[in-house]
Amino acid sequence: MSTVEERSASRKRAQRQGQALDFVDDRLGSSKWIRSALDKIFPDHWSFMVGEVAMYCFVLLLATGIYLALFYSPSSAVVTYHGSYAPLDGQKMTQAYESVINLSFNVRFGLLMRQAHHWAANIFLAAIAFHMCRVFFTGAFRRPREANWIIGITLLLISMLEGFSGYSLPDDLLSGSGLRVVYSIVQSIPFVGPWLAFNVWGGPFPGSSAFLQRLFVIHEFLFPLLLAGLLGAHLAVLWHQKHTDFAGPGKTEKNIVGSRLWPQYAIKSQALLMFVAMVVFGLGGLVQINPIWIYGPFEAARSSAGTQPDWYVGWLDGALRLWPHWEFRSFGHEIANPFFPGILLPGIVFTVIYAWPWIDKRVFSDYGEHNLLDRPRDKPLRTALGVAALIFFIDTTLASATDLIGNGLQVSFELLIEILQYGSFVGPVIGGVVAYRTCILLQRTGAHPVQRPVGGIIVRDAHGAYHTLGAEHDGHEGNGHGGPEEVVLGAQAHREA
Amino acid sequence: MSTAVPSSERGWRRPLAALRRKAMGGPLALVGVAVALFAVLAWAGPAQAGPPVHWTVPVSTKPADIQAGNVLFNEHCSACHGVGAVGASAPSLLNVGPAAVDFFVATGRMPLNSPKAQPMRNKPYFSPKQIAEIVAYVNALDVAHGTPGPGIPNVVAACKTQSAECPTLSEGNQLFLLNCAQCHDASGSGGMLSQGYVIPSLRDATATQVAEAIRVGPRPMPNFGPGQLTDQQVMAVADYVTWLSHRPDRGGLGIAHFGPVPEGFVAIIFGLGILLVISRLIGNRG
Repeated sequence: MSTVEERSASRKRAQRQGQALDFVDDRLGSSKWIRSALDKIFPDHWSFMVGEVAMYCFVLLLATGIYLALFYSPSSAVVTYHGSYAPLDGQKMTQAYESVINLSFNVRFGLLMRQAHHWAANIFLAAIAFHMCRVFFTGAFRRPREANWIIGITLLLISMLEGFSGYSLPDDLLSGSGLRVVYSIVQSIPFVGPWLAFNVWGGPFPGSSAFLQRLFVIHEFLFPLLLAGLLGAHLAVLWHQKHTDFAGPGKTEKNIVGSRLWPQYAIKSQALLMFVAMVVFGLGGLVQINPIWIYGPFEAARSSAGTQPDWYVGWLDGALRLWPHWEFRSFGHEIANPFFPGILLPGIVFTVIYAWPWIDKRVFSDYGEHNLLDRPRDKPLRTALGVAALIFFIDTTLASATDLIGNGLQVSFELLIEILQYGSFVGPVIGGVVAYRTCILLQRTGAHPVQRPVGGIIVRDAHGAYHTLGAEHDGHEGNGHGGPEEVVLGAQAHREA
Repeated sequence: MSTAVPSSERGWRRPLAALRRKAMGGPLALVGVAVALFAVLAWAGPAQAGPPVHWTVPVSTKPADIQAGNVLFNEHCSACHGVGAVGASAPSLLNVGPAAVDFFVATGRMPLNSPKAQPMRNKPYFSPKQIAEIVAYVNALDVAHGTPGPGIPNVVAACKTQSAECPTLSEGNQLFLLNCAQCHDASGSGGMLSQGYVIPSLRDATATQVAEAIRVGPRPMPNFGPGQLTDQQVMAVADYVTWLSHRPDRGGLGIAHFGPVPEGFVAIIFGLGILLVISRLIGNRG
């Protein structure tokens, strides 16, 4: 269908691309690899792009973080503030806090960069969590991708620690209160806790002047380098193993259907980068986040209501609030209360998550290789367990906001805690059962989980009568999703695949 | 400015500078005398002319106001507080003072529907004139009883004179973070106490009401007497809270000023949410 002009233009384009590759080849001898790399196929399902959202958040975090590091000073030397922010005038504060205040008010783009950095961190973790759920619910962690699951969970863990260390750097009241909690949690580790906390902080809380420096090095070098390295490994393994895809017409365990890296997928991906930057800097410029000047410099005697961690640590803060006041004492040694919700719970959670690919194999007696994904409904038990875990995390995250929920709904704090304590057991069970039954129902009807069913699957029973599965269909026209025939064909193709 | 001092010090030691000093000696001495004179005048001036600061607003003692207040009290308050404010199902008001009455009535906390409910900020039921009359009546009772409570703090006047008593925002900030933020949040958005007590936001409170609450201690808030916070410190806190409620939100829209929880909500719903929609638009289905 193409015209003569179009054909000659595309020939010219290919020629130019060839010239560019020749240039690289003459110098680096790598054009063969690049040529095949540019032709690499990536599947197109939208949910596969959320991992990229996280990756681009990381890129933006590096860029904004470098800008912030130009002005931040990790020093706990006490200075007297005489800057442009009147309510802090004449107050004593650490140089670290002063540098963040100056960064916010006196450095061009400083506040924008700081807020964009913080929003990017919050979205980064949200994208990682979504990406992880996608991988979990579709069984993308199954053989041969267990290694990438391990790398991914490590990325999540380090990102949480990285986020928390960043939250602690400004040395404002929230930072200090958060560190106070973490110090106590570290202290609660049996036998080694007090020793560990003392050495990490360089003394009893709030620690020596070396602590802020250490935190800075950890946030600035150690964790970002680990993240960059593991992200590289994550992508390299993905590249080597190729991306998974949902079953569909023409898709098998052995092939891959989608867009080429160049130009289609690269352009899509670049567009996504632009959109991530738009959202991050849009929020950074328009919506206030962590106004440290309101919280004031950290002093051990001060505290503020509504002192919560950033959202991805909220489930641990909530667990601290929900955990009963148990203390165990035996053989002259006490296991302090924060150990259970602060160390044991995340320890168990992350152990189970790390081990999940192998647990999954045993549960489903499925040790084979899989390049085609499950739909969540295909493995109702896995989906039910995943939903139950999500509800548990939502419950504990809500628990970290009990004071705000109580204030908003005018409900007593104790009642909320009690509801969420029971909720952390009952909620996952109810959620799991509902998810399981929904999966079974969706398997039977073949309907879309969100959209209203259009038509349905027509089956013929043993007596020769015809039935429509998915009874709530409302006719064939008018909703833009095509007629019933297409749906039936699509569903059949799905099952054959 | 601070760099000028060492450089001139260095100049003293140089012979050329010494010569310059000789030539400039006359004018410098003149300037010195002028500065000293000005300093003495500046020090002496306000001390003589400055009006004494009244920390409280005078309460009307006119019989007409007291009588009008008596009528209002009997209609709206005596059912719980008893005739003559001696107390019934609600506490006696014989020692509360004008600050407490003004605070509870002017913020709409009183009259209260049920004596067991926590009084919350509401639209004031009475007009300012009626409030002043009720205050006058209860004040008259308190004075007659020999136990006048704290008066209504005079916040605005103290700050408008711009005298040495005028509090600084920094002083208010420090006192607020030390004494108030535990419950009211560093941003004054409020929170939650045990037993279902809601800690109110300070957003709508006027400076006078903040000062009244500090002195009165509307339950479950403790009261801060003059031994804990001086009148000037109360002014400083009230001034800072007023500033906090009307502050310009640097860095954009402040989301409820409740810290990381609403921030996380916005990051997930609007941040990731928008990006999921965009991913769906860029990507395909299947």
